Amino acid sequence: MKKFYRFSTTLLLLLLSVGWSWAQYTVSGTVTDERTGEPLIGATILVRNTTTGVVADLDGRFSITVPGNQDAVLVVSSLGYISQNVNVSPSLTSVQVRLREDATNLEEVVITGLASTVKRSNLANAVSSVSAQELVGTTNIQTTDGALYGKIAGANIRMNSGAPGGGVSIQLRGISSLTGASQPLIIVDGVYINNSFQRTGRASVTGAGGSNQDDGANRLADLNPNDIESIEVLKGPSAAAIYGTRANAGVIIITTKRGSAGKTQVSISQDIGFATPLRLLGVDDWSEEKINFFFPEARRPIELERYRQAVATNTFVDYEDYFYNNTATLSNTRVTVNGGNDRTKFFISGNIVSEDGTVRNTGFERYSVRANVDHKISDFIRLGVSSNYIRSNTDRGFTGNQNRTGASIGYNIAYVPNYYDLRRNADGTYPINPYFSENPVAVTDHGINNSVVNRFIQAFTLDADIYKSANSFLRFQLAGGMDFLQNTSLVYLPEFLQFQRGQANPGDVLWGKQESFNTNLQAVMVYNWNLGRVNMNSQVGLVRLDFNNDGLFTRGSGLAPGQLNLQQATVQEINQQFFSEVQEAGIFLQQEANFEDKIIGTVGVRWDKSTLNGDPNQFYAFPRASVAFNLANFDFWGSKTTFSALKPRIAYGETAGPVAFGATFTPLGGTNIGGLLGSVVSTQIGNTQILPETATELEFGIDAGFFNNRLGLEATYYIKNTQNNIQNLNLAPSTGVNITPSNEAELENKGIELALFGTVVDKPNLRWNTRVMYWQNRLNMRRLGIPTYVSGGFGAALGTFLFAEGIAPTTIVGTPADPNNPGGFTIWGNSQPKFNMSMINNFTIAKNLEFSFLMEYRKGGDNINLTSFLTDAGGTTNGWFDDDDGDGIPNGRQRPPAPFNNAGRWVQDATFLKIREIGLYYSIPKNTVIQTFGNSVENIRLGASMNNAFLFTNYQGYDPETSTFGAQSVANNVDITPYPTPRRVFFHITIDF
Amino acid sequence: MKTIQKYLGTVALAAISLFACNPLQLDEIIDPNNPSVESISNNASREQIQFLITGLEARHRAYVFNVTAAWGAFGREAWYLNASDPRFQTDWLGQGGRTPDRAYFGFGVTGGGSYASPYQAINQADVLISAAENAATLSQTDRSAISGFAKTIKGYQFMIPANFVYQNGIRIDVSDPLNPGPFVPYEQALDFIKTVLDEGDQDLVAAGGGNFPLRLTPGFNGFNTNAALRQVNRAVAARLNAYRKDWTGVLSALEGSFMNLSGDLNAGPAHPYGAPPDAFNPLFYVPNALVTTMIVVHPSVLRDATPGDLRVANKFFERTVAPVTVTTDVGPLVGTHQDSRWPVNTAFIPFIKNEELILLKAEAHANLGQTAQAVEAINIIRNAAGIGDYTGGTSQAALIDEILYQRRYSLWLEPWGHRWIDARRYEKLSEIDVSFDGGTVFTQFPHPQSEVNWDNYVGN
Repeated sequence: MKKFYRFSTTLLLLLLSVGWSWAQYTVSGTVTDERTGEPLIGATILVRNTTTGVVADLDGRFSITVPGNQDAVLVVSSLGYISQNVNVSPSLTSVQVRLREDATNLEEVVITGLASTVKRSNLANAVSSVSAQELVGTTNIQTTDGALYGKIAGANIRMNSGAPGGGVSIQLRGISSLTGASQPLIIVDGVYINNSFQRTGRASVTGAGGSNQDDGANRLADLNPNDIESIEVLKGPSAAAIYGTRANAGVIIITTKRGSAGKTQVSISQDIGFATPLRLLGVDDWSEEKINFFFPEARRPIELERYRQAVATNTFVDYEDYFYNNTATLSNTRVTVNGGNDRTKFFISGNIVSEDGTVRNTGFERYSVRANVDHKISDFIRLGVSSNYIRSNTDRGFTGNQNRTGASIGYNIAYVPNYYDLRRNADGTYPINPYFSENPVAVTDHGINNSVVNRFIQAFTLDADIYKSANSFLRFQLAGGMDFLQNTSLVYLPEFLQFQRGQANPGDVLWGKQESFNTNLQAVMVYNWNLGRVNMNSQVGLVRLDFNNDGLFTRGSGLAPGQLNLQQATVQEINQQFFSEVQEAGIFLQQEANFEDKIIGTVGVRWDKSTLNGDPNQFYAFPRASVAFNLANFDFWGSKTTFSALKPRIAYGETAGPVAFGATFTPLGGTNIGGLLGSVVSTQIGNTQILPETATELEFGIDAGFFNNRLGLEATYYIKNTQNNIQNLNLAPSTGVNITPSNEAELENKGIELALFGTVVDKPNLRWNTRVMYWQNRLNMRRLGIPTYVSGGFGAALGTFLFAEGIAPTTIVGTPADPNNPGGFTIWGNSQPKFNMSMINNFTIAKNLEFSFLMEYRKGGDNINLTSFLTDAGGTTNGWFDDDDGDGIPNGRQRPPAPFNNAGRWVQDATFLKIREIGLYYSIPKNTVIQTFGNSVENIRLGASMNNAFLFTNYQGYDPETSTFGAQSVANNVDITPYPTPRRVFFHITIDF
Repeated sequence: MKTIQKYLGTVALAAISLFACNPLQLDEIIDPNNPSVESISNNASREQIQFLITGLEARHRAYVFNVTAAWGAFGREAWYLNASDPRFQTDWLGQGGRTPDRAYFGFGVTGGGSYASPYQAINQADVLISAAENAATLSQTDRSAISGFAKTIKGYQFMIPANFVYQNGIRIDVSDPLNPGPFVPYEQALDFIKTVLDEGDQDLVAAGGGNFPLRLTPGFNGFNTNAALRQVNRAVAARLNAYRKDWTGVLSALEGSFMNLSGDLNAGPAHPYGAPPDAFNPLFYVPNALVTTMIVVHPSVLRDATPGDLRVANKFFERTVAPVTVTTDVGPLVGTHQDSRWPVNTAFIPFIKNEELILLKAEAHANLGQTAQAVEAINIIRNAAGIGDYTGGTSQAALIDEILYQRRYSLWLEPWGHRWIDARRYEKLSEIDVSFDGGTVFTQFPHPQSEVNWDNYVGN
């Protein structure tokens, strides 16, 4: 984005500099770096409140014509430097400007709206930005969302499992919706991309349940994180109001890299690494005493015999170690080509990711090619296009929940004692598993859980300068794009597996074909003008969005040996077919006013309508207003040396969350019985009055800078209230209908976000940048509007969630029943963390060496740990047969609290400290490079890094971050034998030509 | 400037042609996946009525697995062993002092297959009756036949929630989803069900002779005339009247039913099953399957069996491989015998059969003190099972004990939970043997949470 900004500013200024007026004088001077004295090529010099500007040349020199004969102010800026205002007059026409590096990113340009950007120092919202360097500069992370961990105050990011290929949930400032996942809108180069968790069918074939238990990936996984220039996160309605209907859970704006004029640069990077499990728990050993305790009497002789044989041959198998503790190889190859001239610029990138998982036969491959081209059609018209083709191929294996089929490694680890050997026989067959339904070794060797995505994302932006005068210009922008995604999923369990042999039609294959096609178009007029000393930016525009999805799942069982084709199945079944179509349209107005960077205000409003709403033709209005005061820019502010910036700010905005497709319908479902087709009355009554969920947010805060902005502080407090929250009103089931969507609930999220950042040490041989963040959110159901209910998880006996007025819906309740509590059950915990903290550190040592690390601490927040529940049932929990209270009953049969039969046994504190990223890089000195490779090589950089380096927690699981139900607004903290999170270690080399 | 205008013109043209219509104009989106309920409420076609009838048969079988497995476990006819979710053992058997709550495992907040599903069949029946009334294409006799069939199913389905929550009572006025009537006591609910069944009977009379005017599934093979459907209606009424302790009512209903003292004991209408797009028989398990999820015969049923009982030989299969053992946090349960009633996974599951009718006859006579007739009926069952005539005591209590014993084996694990209901009818729940699992026997369930919530919501 920065490059694009520089490019467009340059263009703009070049264009504008042609303007002239009657009276004028010329100012000339130089722009240099304050510290090094080196000229700042490309620095921009603008006469404040006019459209007159120039760019510094190769020596940092400039010459600018100032209209009129009055005193004027030149605004001198350069990327990565703090801009300066310089007073000039007809008598002061020669200036030397020395700019200081922007340690606290105050000059960074932040995208804040559909066609607007603002300098960070003028922002009235706490918009988080993540640069390419911050995103992937420390280590290699598979997916973009995974790379945002710990980098955004106010974001609760959670990896659903450690399976390769993604599966990450992001919740910004608590939750905004009770249904769905409360995930932010994601926009890549202006395209509203599909970030859904698409069905894979794993949960169907393994019997786990609904598609929310597929443990699938969200489709942001397709984007190559290394293509990203910057990410802006609009965390709530006050910042995101102009995005209207889809912005309740925030907006993530991703901007990819663009070309820059000059010599063509080719860069090749190769990362090689390996992954091992971050944490394993160990399994319990067995003894004759334990066998006699655990097994029923009739079963003991055979178990004792098996045990004695294992002792005799010393063949004990630690199945956790066997399945999970493997070393996976990781490779990431990238090529970028970047260049162009003053009319056409291009950025082309190719990326091959090939990563194995720590479980055998799992892995993630991604092939991505991107071409971002900017072209000046004429002096007045510019076209930018971004094209990205991706092919992702993911094998996620069989872990997590299952029912009946035994097709989950974790379940088998829970139930199989270590004295029984399940490993493959020499003849290629597999031993029968007498402890569960399936041999997990055979499933791992021969089962398939695969998804292949072919995807094309295309964006375009057409800018036309329509009118300009000395101090105003009018620009028209037409932008839009499309995201076409096709996902072919396959889940396969071959006919010779133990469980399959026990079925009437052995062998099970489920093929899915899903297509989604999103298009969006946006047209905006932007008028920049001056009202006295106030710079005004006026926008009017319209937006059109279309979302189409269809899917077809077909299933076969009774398979011919080794065959996956459905026509090789005895039983062939259409498992599911669905279509959805959504259309939305909006118009917006926005007015920004900037009084000399002292007072910056914005008001705007967006009106949206959607076919998802009860009334598809009703426009809903989403206003916003914000103001920021840069006190240090006022004349009364004295020296800026110590206390260099102080900006109180306040912002208000409203947004909405979409209604789920189909909420207005009362369908007749199709069902087949006895060779006939039946129509059944749906158990849902559609709500033809349904309204979108709306949110209002008031955010205020203070940004401060110290010691010439070497240190910065951002403090924000927000109150986000949602109304019309949709939840299913449970009707009396005796009426034959169970639910109808209602608009009754209201939620409140209140929170604090603090960030302290800057350059701690700034010596020639050592530079230490740090950023410390703290955030917390408190959620409350302000109004329920319908009867108190429990929902989520696996029912009250294993912990579920309480939806009651005045209580956070993240509250975990369960058996035993307690009539004194709303909902009638005992309160056992809350999944919402008390607070999060993260710390990012960056050390530059002797110019060539860079060291950085990122750690995150999450305090509080409970999980429902059903892995413990299962391993306790199977007698395999590490320490199961110990007896801490000495009452003769082992710990595994006596988990507190007494009387050892309630849901509270499985609710565990998930506090953790994670060292998420560590990186060490060395740039080979230029002289050495030239001596070795001559002038053909520009730069060589070597490095080593770790992702998920260390985990410290008392939680009894592989990772306190886990969700068997994937991304959900609540109940996203249930732990069922997940794929263990990998620790990833990389070695890096980048060569620039 | 002309160049600019030219470009702008091109851009505008491109924009217009690309989005030929007004970008702010939205199309009307109708459900691309399903027809709407409204489409059948007025003047439905004959085909649409046919689809609703078949839909009623689909709703009619929705309770089968839940009621069979759960009520079968409550009455200790079987255990549903399930290593993937131990609560099928711990919670359904009331182990460790667990007692049913309003969102109990396996039933959820709606009562699931034991409560919500039967009410969905009832709602489907109501929608069908009303659609048929408003369908001009149907004749009056067509409408009567459809109504008679729908009310027969409705009466059958009403008994399921009534027996599930028992003395807590059920709602019987459920036609308006937003305004359901109050809960009425068990006895009153049964009386209401009697009127539903009697109305269905009269409707089938009004429908005249001949075939049922629309298609039924093969589950009703042999019962797809209006007259035969009346017999089904009366069979259901006989079962109901036994619950009502209306013993003469049982006998008169049996008169009109398909009871045949010398006929096939298994004769009766059934829930059909088949390969997709149909559903497979949910009670079918491959013999000797090496899995840890299975309905197994309860050890007390095996222990109490009479030597030589053909029902034991025919219905129970002793595994020749290792028994199914599932250990929970309470301890292990072992299943040595499987259900062998279903030769294939497409086998139909009868929902009321001649054997039950004969046993109802015996029970009615026994309760009316008509000992000889009771013993006569008992002997039909005993001789069919190969265990010879009844030689025990002929006091009413002894006869009832005998009949309940025969019902345990004749109606073992029918999709109804007969044993649980029978033991409760005769206040013999304490005779159900929990020694094998250390659990408890439930008497009834509380109203599901959603029912209570609804009353709270509307302020009742």
